[in-house]
Amino acid sequence: MHIHNYEKIWLVLAMLLIVAFISTVAYGATAMGVDMISDDEETINPDALDEDQRFAEPRVEQVGENEYEAYVVALQFAFQPDPIEVPAGSTVTFYVTSRDVIHGFEVVGTNANVMVVPGEVSTFTVEFNEAGEYGVLCNEYCGDGHHVMEGSVVVVPEEEYDGGDQ
Amino acid sequence: MSTETAKKEIDHEDFDPKGTLALILLYFVILAILWIFMYFIEFLGNDLTVIG
Repeated sequence: MHIHNYEKIWLVLAMLLIVAFISTVAYGATAMGVDMISDDEETINPDALDEDQRFAEPRVEQVGENEYEAYVVALQFAFQPDPIEVPAGSTVTFYVTSRDVIHGFEVVGTNANVMVVPGEVSTFTVEFNEAGEYGVLCNEYCGDGHHVMEGSVVVVPEEEYDGGDQ
Repeated sequence: MSTETAKKEIDHEDFDPKGTLALILLYFVILAILWIFMYFIEFLGNDLTVIG
């Protein structure tokens, strides 16, 4: 089979484009550290969150110098705690679960966005560099109050942080 | 009445679709720019990014 020279050009370019797409994603995953939401957390009983160490009292806990863990419970139609208070310049791992139906946990306008499934613990880590406030909303239809289900993440300046308790 | 048209046989390599090539290169450039914009600016620039 004879292939015209021009055809060879665009075949090669198309291949290169695919290679470039894959390499940028690989670059994001390695050099930039972009990660996927993992599902390696153990499942829990959504009806017994009150007896769960992490979720009986939804809170933000300091676990290292600049490392925090946020235990968040989504329910019809709110997030606990609200607001989720963290200091600027911290790395926060969120553990989010639901006590009733499937919810979403989306930090509005950012890439932090997970499904919240009863019995599952959605886990992800993000860095908060600057003080500010983010909205959080549910993006999975969860009932007649879905549209009012919201929360917030308040990033306070490091020196003003008091542990995140209300 | 019949018209006689001049016919010229050309070989596979003799015709170069320059316009098509230009169009495809243009699409290629647009795609590459859009990808760079989408991935590096819209996605990576959209903090908070999940890192773990």
